[in-house]
Amino acid sequence: MEGLGQVELPILSCQNLCKSFPGNQKQEKLVLANINLAVPKGSFVTILGQSGGGKSTLLKLLGGFLPPSSGRVFFDGQPLTQITPKIGMVFQDHNLYPWMTVEQNIGFGFKIRGDKPGTYQHLVHEILDTVGLSQSRKLYPHQLSGGMRQRVAIARSVVVKPEVLLLDEPFSALDVQLRRRLQDFLLTLWKEMHITMVLVTHNVEEAILLGQKLIVVGNQPGQIIEEVVISEPQYGDRYHPDFLQLQRHLESLLDSNLIDPVQAKPLPISNGKAIS
Amino acid sequence: MSITVNQWQKWQKSSLSLICGICSCLLLVAVWEWVGSDPINPITQVLPPPSKFVPVLFESDFKIGLGSQSSTIYQSVFVTLLRVFAGMTIAFVAAIFCGMLISLSEWSELFILPILGLIAPIAPIAWVPLALVVFGISNLTAIFIVFMGVFFTLTIATVAEIKRIPENLLITARNLAGSRFNIWRMVVMPAVLPSVFTLLRLNFIAAWMAVLAAEMTGLRDGLGAVVMTGRNLFNSNLILLGICIIGITGFAVDRLLLLIQRRFFWWRV
Repeated sequence: MEGLGQVELPILSCQNLCKSFPGNQKQEKLVLANINLAVPKGSFVTILGQSGGGKSTLLKLLGGFLPPSSGRVFFDGQPLTQITPKIGMVFQDHNLYPWMTVEQNIGFGFKIRGDKPGTYQHLVHEILDTVGLSQSRKLYPHQLSGGMRQRVAIARSVVVKPEVLLLDEPFSALDVQLRRRLQDFLLTLWKEMHITMVLVTHNVEEAILLGQKLIVVGNQPGQIIEEVVISEPQYGDRYHPDFLQLQRHLESLLDSNLIDPVQAKPLPISNGKAIS
Repeated sequence: MSITVNQWQKWQKSSLSLICGICSCLLLVAVWEWVGSDPINPITQVLPPPSKFVPVLFESDFKIGLGSQSSTIYQSVFVTLLRVFAGMTIAFVAAIFCGMLISLSEWSELFILPILGLIAPIAPIAWVPLALVVFGISNLTAIFIVFMGVFFTLTIATVAEIKRIPENLLITARNLAGSRFNIWRMVVMPAVLPSVFTLLRLNFIAAWMAVLAAEMTGLRDGLGAVVMTGRNLFNSNLILLGICIIGITGFAVDRLLLLIQRRFFWWRV
């Protein structure tokens, strides 16, 4: 993997980001508290946390899909206040349009902007080759497997050349074999297309394998409890002792951050630690 | 070309359904013929069996009615279908359009939906006298009645379906820099069309009954008028013939709508 020293200034960052939602008894429920993070341009950042910990909310805030309760998000140095096509999003459920074929779904980003088919068809065909779906271009989403659908969703987002691609647990519904193939596919895509990627996952292995920078988000309210910079090649091998050691460390970190059901409040947070 | 197991099972299922349907209809006709075979049975006078009323069609050279007012059975079927399809098409397009307009603003929903909810339960037949006063004895009357029977329910359904569209489908479209107009045209409309069309199909029965009622009460032609001619002539053969044609045509149109639904509006969001 490339080291973070080779990448440029943050393309996406946030300062003191907080988000709360209306809770019970007219009280606001704080979901995210004081999130500060920076995503360097061209990097692959993974956000790791347990289900219900506010990871997806963080991703939506970073993409401008949700307004923060306080704090700010910056994209390319400018405050981000609304959705922009420069930041693409891939959801956990693929969100393909069921009435469109694979080809039409991928070209939808151009079509909805009012572009003429002649101006983007070659790009659609190129990305179809890249994601290995040329043979399936005339099929509809219901005729595809789960993995193929996610590849179409990723292709639809990257074909319009966003500067940042946010991925919200895109492989969580897939079996282990398929998930590993798609992880490799995503890494290849990232290296070939030079798109900054931010992936949210609850899978520790996935977070280490894909990320150059790994951010661990604790529970209730969600806050960053550890940042790990991964630059050594052994972290690309899931059976390497260093990889397994980091995996154990992160798993125990997540376990220790679980909510105590008796006390109903978070257990103490460990300090951030960097491994390089 | 090889046939997959799934296709074979589907074919088997649809064949079984067809065979069972034909068998049950044949059984009904057989029982009817058996009951009607006794000439002194009073039921035979009111419900003549198919062997009695079907020949009427051939004997009259497919014409029904008296003198210059007579028309062929094809014309009657055609004119009724034309009225139903015209009314339903106008109602379908108008409901999609109005439903989308209403959904544009929360205020319009708050103000307009209660009015629609108030008018929707009015039976289409209740509009017949008013339609006759406004449009006279014409095709417009029948089309208006079909429209009134379908439009309000479909508009309410369109508004409900728009609310049901998964948020992420809309977010994806917005994220891809779609204009508001294009999102409505390319995402919202295709997302609601199948459900609204299904409801249109379910409402066809109501529209069909409404137009027949209009033809029986005010209009001079169409399938409803065939039954009324039978009544005026005290001809139960003609009444039964009209009823059977109404049933068969209604069934055929329902199958046609199902075919359209499966061919053009097959997806679900």
